[in-house]
Amino acid sequence: MTALSPTIDLLVENRRRRARRHVFVIAILLAIMVALFAVTLSLGQSFTPPGDVIRVLLGDDVPGAAFTVGKLRLPRSVLSVLAGLAFGLGGVTFQIMLRNPLASPDIIGITSGASAAAVFAIVVLSLSGPIVSVLAVVAGLGVALLVYALSFRDGVAGTRLILVGIGISAMLESIVGYILSSAPAWNLQEAMRWLTGSVNGAQLGQALPLLLALVTFGGLLLVRTRELEALRLGDDTAAALGVKVARTRMLVIVAAVGMIASATAVTGPVAFVAFLSGPIASRVVGRNGSLLIPAALIGAILVLGGDYVGQFLLPGRYPVGVVTGALGAPYLIYQIVRANRMGGSL
Amino acid sequence: MTIHSLTASRLSAGYSDVEILHALDLAVPPGKITAVVGANACGKSTLLRTMSRLISPSQGHVLLDGKSIHRVPSRELARTLGLLPQSPIAPEGITVADLVSRGRHPHQSLFSRWTRKDDEAVESALTATKTVELAERPVDELSGGQRQRVWIAMALAQQTDVLLLDEPTTFLDINHQVEVLDLLTDLNHARGTTVVMVLHDLNLAARYADYLVAIAEGRVHVAGAPEDVLTEENVRQVFGLESRVITDPTSGRPIMLPIGRHRMAEGQDLKENRS
Repeated sequence: MTALSPTIDLLVENRRRRARRHVFVIAILLAIMVALFAVTLSLGQSFTPPGDVIRVLLGDDVPGAAFTVGKLRLPRSVLSVLAGLAFGLGGVTFQIMLRNPLASPDIIGITSGASAAAVFAIVVLSLSGPIVSVLAVVAGLGVALLVYALSFRDGVAGTRLILVGIGISAMLESIVGYILSSAPAWNLQEAMRWLTGSVNGAQLGQALPLLLALVTFGGLLLVRTRELEALRLGDDTAAALGVKVARTRMLVIVAAVGMIASATAVTGPVAFVAFLSGPIASRVVGRNGSLLIPAALIGAILVLGGDYVGQFLLPGRYPVGVVTGALGAPYLIYQIVRANRMGGSL
Repeated sequence: MTIHSLTASRLSAGYSDVEILHALDLAVPPGKITAVVGANACGKSTLLRTMSRLISPSQGHVLLDGKSIHRVPSRELARTLGLLPQSPIAPEGITVADLVSRGRHPHQSLFSRWTRKDDEAVESALTATKTVELAERPVDELSGGQRQRVWIAMALAQQTDVLLLDEPTTFLDINHQVEVLDLLTDLNHARGTTVVMVLHDLNLAARYADYLVAIAEGRVHVAGAPEDVLTEENVRQVFGLESRVITDPTSGRPIMLPIGRHRMAEGQDLKENRS
């Protein structure tokens, strides 16, 4: 083995080029997210000059802007970003781990589980605050476990898990509908939140628990990127490479579900963001590296952008989930057709 | 290259409640090529999967250098014992170089960076499998034979002294089957890698193996040099098939010609062959 062989230089060169492109893609996505964040803060029904926005963010009491920016727009945008990151990262994790774009948490019932638990806690048990998030996470994990157990037969096959998940998801959505329709004070905005997801009436206080969940669970996932990537080669190959498959999968499921459910407890199940982010990231990143961070950023961009479109760019006002749902549904049909033809993987 | 001993002792294993291996004993000769043959469902794949700790045995042990492989930390084991499973999955669009790099996984820890040594291992694996020119191509665009060479390259990049392969020639045209087996033999000669493979084709197994293991009903029926294992008597017992075994003029190894119920030449019949 000669250290100066042309092959090795070429390999190194190509690897570095891929790494550079990966960083570049992440930088671009980050820039888009920050730009969108800035737009949602300064441009709504009225325009607030960027200077005023910054002064509000720094805590100044700017007449005419302090309320609009500080109380209305900022919480909404912050929660959009956090929930989007959580949905994007959690979604792509599931898709990678189960090697199927249809295996996203919003298709296989995990978000509906979290949503059902949240709406039950709020409407029936009259709870509020962090306890709702905790219940949503517990319910999300419970659903994940249930789907896993119901589809287990000498190992878990992707398609069986997805079909079981779709069934469970439909059941849970009807529970959400039932609770909402039998609630004493029926409120359209609240109902929309738990049916398709919405950041209406967001409060900054809701951001902290979500941020904590994102940092803890997201950090755990990012540390496991390499194991996740190995799982894409099949369980046997991953095990042969020294990955503890069962343990990694358990850890990854808990982290992804924890993140998704925490976000769902605040914004409701924002339709298809988890499902869409991974495949979009895969398109943008190509063969240049891991999809986790790009998918998280795309999730944030989708929620921020979707909410903005729903509020200001359409006739009438729609919650973010309606917009992302309209985007995601055709893509879901495309994926199902494609999976039928060739059993696609991410 | 260190010499490792790999043995199965009183090994029982299977799936759910079905036991497939029954107290099987096997000592893999170090630094040699071992081929495992047997009829469908005899347990040859189960044996390979248990020896690479994809399946936990219900009884008995798989010992690598005298230590149970289920007790060795998985990353450490993966630096000594490599496995190419029967149907590995290539993620959509992944390039050859990227896939082969995945073989370095057990050599990297949580925060360690990709090093020169990793690049060298990948390069050497690509060169050995003649896949250098394919390095930047997506794996899903390759032919079956090329793809199998790439998977072997990934296993090579893992730089293990023992390499297990589950039917590495399945679904390949005969020319690619020979190519893959030649490649594994090169590897064995050049690096002294201990190779254990499950093969379907008895004649290729007898030609390429130093040590041939015939499995029947979850036990080692017979094992040894191909000349001693591939006999008409053993083929009858292991496969329930009448056959003639002659010597291949090229390799000097035995080859088996199956005898069916039809297409007998004049003056030939089953009884005559048996005597």
